[in-house]
Amino acid sequence: MRHVAAIAGREFRSFFVSPVAFVVLTLWSVLAGTFFLSTLFDFQQRVLLAQQFQQVDQLAQMNLNDSLVSPFLGAMWFVMLFLLPAVTMGLFANDKANGTDELLLTSPLTVWEIVFGKFAAAAGFALVMVAIAAFYPGLLFYFGEPDVGKTLAGLLGLMLVSFAYVAVGAFASSLTQNQLIAFIVGLVLILVMGVMLPFLVDIAFSGAGVPAADAIGGLMRWVATGYHFEHLISGEIDTADLAYFVVAIGVFLTLSKAVVESSRWR
Amino acid sequence: MSAGIEVTETPAIEVEGLCKRYGDFEAVHGLHFRVAPGEVVGLLGPNAAGKTTTMRMLTGFIPPSDGRVLIAGHDVLTDPLGARAAVGYLPESPPLYPEMTVRAYVSFVASIKDVPRRERADAVERAIARCGLSEVSRRVIGQLSKGYRQRVGLAQAIVHEPEVLVLDEPTVGLDPIQIREIRGLIAELASPEHGRGRQSVILSTHILNEVEAICQRVMMIHHGRMVIDQPLAELTAGGQRLEEVFAHITSRDDAPSPVDAEASP
Repeated sequence: MRHVAAIAGREFRSFFVSPVAFVVLTLWSVLAGTFFLSTLFDFQQRVLLAQQFQQVDQLAQMNLNDSLVSPFLGAMWFVMLFLLPAVTMGLFANDKANGTDELLLTSPLTVWEIVFGKFAAAAGFALVMVAIAAFYPGLLFYFGEPDVGKTLAGLLGLMLVSFAYVAVGAFASSLTQNQLIAFIVGLVLILVMGVMLPFLVDIAFSGAGVPAADAIGGLMRWVATGYHFEHLISGEIDTADLAYFVVAIGVFLTLSKAVVESSRWR
Repeated sequence: MSAGIEVTETPAIEVEGLCKRYGDFEAVHGLHFRVAPGEVVGLLGPNAAGKTTTMRMLTGFIPPSDGRVLIAGHDVLTDPLGARAAVGYLPESPPLYPEMTVRAYVSFVASIKDVPRRERADAVERAIARCGLSEVSRRVIGQLSKGYRQRVGLAQAIVHEPEVLVLDEPTVGLDPIQIREIRGLIAELASPEHGRGRQSVILSTHILNEVEAICQRVMMIHHGRMVIDQPLAELTAGGQRLEEVFAHITSRDDAPSPVDAEASP
């Protein structure tokens, strides 16, 4: 564990001497502000409209969580798909390019310690991003009364989804010594896992009729992170969803470990 | 200084039947040798002779295809962490993080090399001072000259006071004064005056006078086979210069050397 902390600490600090971290954090903060304002104005508009037309039912259904916090977190999730690969692209690729992998692999460290350390550093960075995003829903508590549990569940969702993507990005980074390739491979994997699979499910369902298609479709839907994230931002905390994220992180870290280990045999 | 065979204490390095194959290509074939504590051994050979491959197997970076490597009594395959803790390794290009300061980097290496927390600050200062890095310790590695980077690489290798130092071409690309300093440092590490137990050094080079300057023993590898393993004094006893021996051996391509049989323990 001491080793994990040493590696994670070094890696985390190294984020903040590279311009990438600042570009990512700046974009993230600006987009968070923009999306928050736009969802806020949209919400206000809809409340005004509903009031004007005396749609009491609709007005009664509206609340800060479903109409504001959830769409906002959904938008931030979408931004994350594109920004996290930039955070993780250097995790292993950089060491291979620097030759520092030779230092790590000849030190009394296990490969798991190296992988966990790298993952923890990037997950820590993702946590900073989640904390920045959390600031905006936090503001609502000052002016209104959003549901605490629902808001926290949504933030938990954003955090878990980011950790899963960090694991995917770490795996992409372990495959190459070129950061650009690591970024692109990571982005593609994250897009497929996060967004594309539901589309593939739709295509599978449009074929219809075949019982196997349903089974595959169901499986694909389960594999997609979006499906589980939606549960969490709507305030449902289900152990099955939590287990999904643990499994996703575990699978990609295991793959990363296998790739790092295999470099000894080449 | 003897060839280290009759030494009774645990050898710093013990290698038996070491082989490395890449598909059909045999990079290293059947190496046998021992290095005693405090011994400085020069690993010679033309380019692509298998020097780096051998060193990578000693440091546990790559596993041997066959044979055994014991570092201070730890087998690199069955006790990899113990073996790696006993080795300091300077690869051909120093494994540096260019964005870190010298002190932060050496301190990071100390922590992953299991230097206890209480002793870490002292160990880091000592390594920095010995490699002549005190003045640049707050500077970022990426801004240092090649000579200083090489020294940072050396500081990294010695910070945990390992029993064995493996240096892959430690003076390549340095100017004559820097070369002399690095050689002085290597000699000092192995000397009996050096407080905390003498360190064995195995260094690869193709600069022959480097070997003459600091090594007590010469191992020469050619096509992955050990062709010479002798104390330097014996080798050059007949007034023969190392350069002549080297040229003689590398010119007879492929033929297994008669010295081979004698030298293997």
